[in-house]
Amino acid sequence: MKFLEDMDCAFPKNLQEALKLMADEKSRGRPIAGGTDLMVQWSSGVLPMPERAIDLSGLPELKGVSENTDSVVIGAAVTHAEMRRSPIVQVHLPSLAQAAATIGGAQIQARGTIAGSVANASPAGDLGPSLLITNGRVVVASKAGEREIELAKFFLGYRKIDLQPDELIVRFILPKIHAGCRESFRKLGPRAAQAISKVMGSYRGSAKGKEVKDFAVALGSVAPIPIRLPEFEQWIVGKEIGKKVLDEAEQRVAAMIKPIDDIRSTAEYRQWVSGRIVRGFLEELVAE
Amino acid sequence: MKTITRIWKVNGEEKTVKVPPMRRLLDVLREDLGLKGAKEGCGEGECGTCTVLINGAPMVSCLIPAGQVRDGTEIMTVEGLEKTEGGRLLQEVYADKGSAQCGFCIPGMILSSYALLSRNPNPDEAAIREAHAGNLCRCTGYQKIVEAVQAAARKWPGNK
Ligand SMILES: Cc1cc2nc3c(=O)[nH]c(=O)nc-3n(C[C@H](O)[C@H](O)[C@H](O)COP(=O)(O)OP(=O)(O)OC[C@H]3O[C@@H](n4cnc5c(N)ncnc54)[C@H](O)[C@@H]3O)c2cc1C
Ligand code: FES
Ligand code: FES
Repeated sequence: MKFLEDMDCAFPKNLQEALKLMADEKSRGRPIAGGTDLMVQWSSGVLPMPERAIDLSGLPELKGVSENTDSVVIGAAVTHAEMRRSPIVQVHLPSLAQAAATIGGAQIQARGTIAGSVANASPAGDLGPSLLITNGRVVVASKAGEREIELAKFFLGYRKIDLQPDELIVRFILPKIHAGCRESFRKLGPRAAQAISKVMGSYRGSAKGKEVKDFAVALGSVAPIPIRLPEFEQWIVGKEIGKKVLDEAEQRVAAMIKPIDDIRSTAEYRQWVSGRIVRGFLEELVAE
Repeated sequence: MKTITRIWKVNGEEKTVKVPPMRRLLDVLREDLGLKGAKEGCGEGECGTCTVLINGAPMVSCLIPAGQVRDGTEIMTVEGLEKTEGGRLLQEVYADKGSAQCGFCIPGMILSSYALLSRNPNPDEAAIREAHAGNLCRCTGYQKIVEAVQAAARKWPGNK
């Protein structure tokens, strides 16, 4: 198939209809949400065009942001614009709201979705770190039923996620930030907007005075998938933040990650920046 | 070739199109509806010259399959600008401030201005720059575009 015009598309009206189409190889198609990755990948030939697309933008079950006592629940087809403007996301998942606000420009934010970003599984996907620091889960569904997976286990490898051909991502369950905790997102790219990140990261943590009580940190663009730094997290808890600890923290992070050289940056620069980003997080964590 | 029928409100007028579902909205607007205002710069979502407003929100029409645009959707292209008070004002200030040079980016740029001011009639400079970050301009250096939006904000309907 060479032209978008030749591709068929099904427009299911609800999740059940969509899952039925996905269940049978004859009716299955490539799920499309905002199309901000797929339309580019198809037009440029990076991805072969399938016979059929399955449009997810009309499924009410994939829409909306809601909350319960501990978690925020975000529908798979919620857009970056909706996340950054959602008071629930702003208050309870500030790092995610910040990350969504840095994706592309307004035009991309209005179309691109959370599940599209996760399923595209680019190492440079900006939402990854903010999702990982929550210890959140993703719910996927097939005709046979639902399945819930830890996000940390959902990213399998370069552009690979734990999703079967008949499954769709339905929603994300993301534990809220606790009172007394802080979190934020930091991204380094060549320009402020419409730029693919060289390195980005998020943290969530708490401190008592200068002492670190809890610390979760995740980085993106430094490995085939977004990663947490569990050894570092263990090491830093209980430390008093001062110049010596910050210097050592910076070095430990740089030594711990194994990024690659590519057109956007070098491994060495990425290691250095990662160290600086985490240092900045620790400074922010204990700031007055 | 399979086609689907969609009924939209384009620049205030009801339009019925019968198109292949994955045909790009940009092509439907330009070729099927004869609205040549939206331009194709990159075809990859990067440059913003193909920006149109979908129910008021700026989106790049080169990445939108026509079938995803549901019946009843309001689409505004640069051709619809002069039908609105804010649009006429923006045309005026863009001209006054010399905000267009070659003009290729302007159909998208000015719709981003319109969308911003419709949502936030008192944007600060950072908000103006952010709202236009998805529209690339190779001529002006953006300063005169920012100034035009600031001037339009001062006279925006409801702000006077
Ligand atoms: C100009 C431009 C700038 C960009 N800038 C950034 C940026 O700064 N940072 C960033 O992180 N990304 C950026 N992106 C990438 C892109 O916007 C995101 O990855 C986006 O969120 C993808 O979402 P979508 O809904 O458009 O996905 P689509 O293109 O619709 O789909 C992407 C993938 O997800 C799958 N999929 C979608 N929804 C589901 C579902 N519910 N279940 C199963 N599979 C699903 C599709 O089959 C496909 O494989 C940019 C893209 C463009 C064009
Ligand atoms: S042509 Fe659509 S963004 Fe460039
Ligand atoms: S005026 Fe020439 S690209 Fe903007």
